[in-house]
Amino acid sequence: MISMVAKSTLMKWHYITGLILVVVLGIHLAFRWPSYEASIQWSGPHGVYEQLLNIGYMAAIFILLYAATYHAMNGLRTLLLELHQGRYWNTAVNVVIIALGIFIVIVGTVALVGALQVI
Amino acid sequence: MSSVKAGLKLEVKRGTFTFRVKRYDPKTGGYRWSEYKVEVTNRQTVLDALLKIKSTQDATLAVRYSCRMGICGSCAMIINGVPRLACETKPFELGTDVITIEPLSNFKPIKDLVVDMDEFFEKHKSVKPWLIRRDEREQFEKLDSYYVQTEEQLINYLEFAYCIKCGACYSACPMVFLNKNYLGPQALAAAYRWSADNRDEGYVLRLKVIDSDNGVWSCHYSGTCSKVCPKGADPALAINLLKKSLLTGKPPAR
Amino acid sequence: MTEKLATKRNPPKWSLWLRGLDEWLLIFQKVSGAILAIYLIGHTLVISTALGFGHPSQLTWDRVIGLIEGPRVVGVAHVGTIIEYLIALLAAVHGANGVRLILMQYFGLGLPKPERRTYPMIPSPRKSPQLVYKYLVIAVVIVFIILASYVAFVG
Repeated sequence: MISMVAKSTLMKWHYITGLILVVVLGIHLAFRWPSYEASIQWSGPHGVYEQLLNIGYMAAIFILLYAATYHAMNGLRTLLLELHQGRYWNTAVNVVIIALGIFIVIVGTVALVGALQVI
Repeated sequence: MSSVKAGLKLEVKRGTFTFRVKRYDPKTGGYRWSEYKVEVTNRQTVLDALLKIKSTQDATLAVRYSCRMGICGSCAMIINGVPRLACETKPFELGTDVITIEPLSNFKPIKDLVVDMDEFFEKHKSVKPWLIRRDEREQFEKLDSYYVQTEEQLINYLEFAYCIKCGACYSACPMVFLNKNYLGPQALAAAYRWSADNRDEGYVLRLKVIDSDNGVWSCHYSGTCSKVCPKGADPALAINLLKKSLLTGKPPAR
Repeated sequence: MTEKLATKRNPPKWSLWLRGLDEWLLIFQKVSGAILAIYLIGHTLVISTALGFGHPSQLTWDRVIGLIEGPRVVGVAHVGTIIEYLIALLAAVHGANGVRLILMQYFGLGLPKPERRTYPMIPSPRKSPQLVYKYLVIAVVIVFIILASYVAFVG
């Protein structure tokens, strides 16, 4: 099924999500400034609640979730398939990767959308 | 290589080197090492030394060679750990007293230093390394003028046309080692050489083979192929240019 | 020509690959990518649990994050901080090297134009654009280390 999409299309999106990730991951990491400890507390300055209120930041987090899932799953699939362990291995890798990808996207979206309701 | 200035006398030095040759024995299916001591001059090559061994010490040593001047690509072997052409490597320039010679890696051995190049050439053929025109008969029956090519169009692919198919890049590539079906740097560089040629119209016919897991996407830019190429054909650059064409959807530079 | 040989291929020369920076970067890109992918799965699950799967509250957050972070070990930093610091470092190197690969392969930046052969023959991985790239990658990583250390351990 995967071979219906040209490998170059899969890799093109891998590279595009890579570039997008550099930007949004940069934003995600930049929000830890100036103190990592403060940014993981719920309340207080630079806290999680404040981050949830920031609509631009939350948009970046959504993009981060989808881009990172695609990039990571495609990357994992490439490196696992390059171990060349036979046909069953290939089918198993494809199935597990797609399942994992869908799982992460659903779990992440549910949590983030629910978190947005609170504000 | 040192340049010869007018009036400079080139000294002929002699030295004795030990050649440790790894030989494949088809009867036992294993490898053994043979050692030979040979006296060579500073102008003789490893190939000269091997032929001297064959004629004076051990006639059973199997070596492939032909032109002895670096243009046929027959004598590629691993000398002191790096795939090189035996006819272009001088023992005096290697810097060691013991010279280790092994058959090319990533190839199946036949005997001693000779390896089987069939798989290599099959992969080369699979990218259709010839001029393809829309009208198949044009080149052979209906051609009444030449195909025009400017200097710029020539330079787009000239570097990659210097490939002599020696197999050194194929031997040096770690992805060829990991993926038995990977086309290899030589086949992909040949695919680029023909696709970037403005006289060729067959780029789309090669796409299916190149744009696959065993084609360009198995290359992860380790760059070893270009480092060992004896003719400077730079397969790593060709593969990167191919990837650029595949990703952007534009055919290679014309 | 010959019948299909049943022999195995000659083994590779590892020494050829052990002294090349590009070869190490290749392995590093794959290994760090795998580690980061596994981290992604874990991180999404942890944060989603801490956010209560759609019903966020301060209590759930504090409990889950307190569990994950572990005790303080270095200054203000917890065990979890150290792990995240290392992961972020891996991501920085993976990202910097990745951007180099993307710029080369998608946009063709830093790829020398094919030209008439000159002697001595320098292969493209050794030409100056590639060296500029690699120094840039190192510079970006060093800047990142400085900033991240401040944020994690001092802030």
